[in-house]
Amino acid sequence: MAAFEELPEGCIATILSRTTPLDAGRLSLISKTFRSAADSDAVWDQFLPSDPNFIDSIISHSPSLANIQTKKALYLALSDRPIIIDNGKKSFQLDRKSGKKCIMLAARSFAITWGDDERYWNWIAMPESRFPEVAKLNHVWWLEIRGMINTLALSANTQYGAYLVFKMIDPSGFENLPVDLSVGVEGGNNNTKIVCLDSNVEPMWHIAGRRNRDWNRHMRRLQDRVVGLPRPNIRSDEWLEIEMGEFFNSSLEHEEVHMSVIETKAGQLKYNFFVEGIEIRPK
Amino acid sequence: MASSSSNLISLKTSDGTVFKVERALAKTMKTVQAIIEEADANIYMIPIHNVFSHHMDMIIDYYKLSVAGKSKEFSVEKLDNDELKDFLLAVHYLNMEDLFEVLTQAVADRLEKKSVGYVRKYFGIENDFTPEEYAAIRKKNDWAFKGDDIEPEEDEEKQEE
Repeated sequence: MAAFEELPEGCIATILSRTTPLDAGRLSLISKTFRSAADSDAVWDQFLPSDPNFIDSIISHSPSLANIQTKKALYLALSDRPIIIDNGKKSFQLDRKSGKKCIMLAARSFAITWGDDERYWNWIAMPESRFPEVAKLNHVWWLEIRGMINTLALSANTQYGAYLVFKMIDPSGFENLPVDLSVGVEGGNNNTKIVCLDSNVEPMWHIAGRRNRDWNRHMRRLQDRVVGLPRPNIRSDEWLEIEMGEFFNSSLEHEEVHMSVIETKAGQLKYNFFVEGIEIRPK
Repeated sequence: MASSSSNLISLKTSDGTVFKVERALAKTMKTVQAIIEEADANIYMIPIHNVFSHHMDMIIDYYKLSVAGKSKEFSVEKLDNDELKDFLLAVHYLNMEDLFEVLTQAVADRLEKKSVGYVRKYFGIENDFTPEEYAAIRKKNDWAFKGDDIEPEEDEEKQEE
């Protein structure tokens, strides 16, 4: 029976570099030799994105990263929290489990219909946002928001999901309102999901009481519009998110992925919707 | 008798079996290649330590498949963990790049998501950390224990021993 201690550290490092970041982190607990192999640059270099220019450009946005000595520490720093890039228009983070790139597009990078008109939309600073500005909806009938990402910013051979990240503070107009969310590769298929952005699933017609049957019937008809539709979830950073769709980045060529939020049919006013951005992360 | 113009090289495994292999196959073994190049005279037979005949059988299988463009069909699934380790050591000794890649990936696949205890047993490695050292490293790498599908550390409390 071969004693595995005969395997040099470099060999163990090769094996570990073919596992995952979580495995390499855990297995540093096996023994001193294993730890040395598991913590080595050879291993963590494999987990970091392979494009060196890319890493350099990210570091240039976050000077504290420039002093990091080891690839493991760099990986942990890049996967620990989002780094704001592109003049506050995007944030970047590595998904710790897989090393894949995650991007959040800031609302400032979107094309928002009526977005420049202060009567309808304001751009405000919110301390709980990672970006300098958040889009605040004062009121609008025509809700149309469009964003785009080039797949060159993402990891190859990965299935990605796009998530609208937002808050509602004293909102109105979103209850019982179906909204169309779309994701599609330019020149390819566009898939639309119909969702309800109101996280409150409680039927409102209870408020009217049993006596007013017309009102109840009217409310029930409204609620039918959103029965079974996906609702937002709360994120760990306490914003809400809802999946817009997914796409596969083969990265054989660079493509543009278009995403949109559209509600222009109901003719009802919508108020107090705060858009942080769209997060694109591996599924 | 082998001569430099012959296309066959004789390799003698640890268990005394002699394999006559094509020069092209011997070339994929950098250790063997180095021995051939170093020798002034013609080499009659090259002993390969740490390599047993069942390893040579698999090496020849792999070679035949890659020559036919079917290297993806090569599988070590039927080997148990110890057999895989031994084979990896043999291939490492012979310094065979492609097959080494295949085998390290195979070992990595078997280790993925496994607990620290399992991997210690698999590699036959003792924990040489003091309890304090272990606790400190555990704390530092706490994030690595938070995956949903990782095997739980049944014997973590025993690390103190």
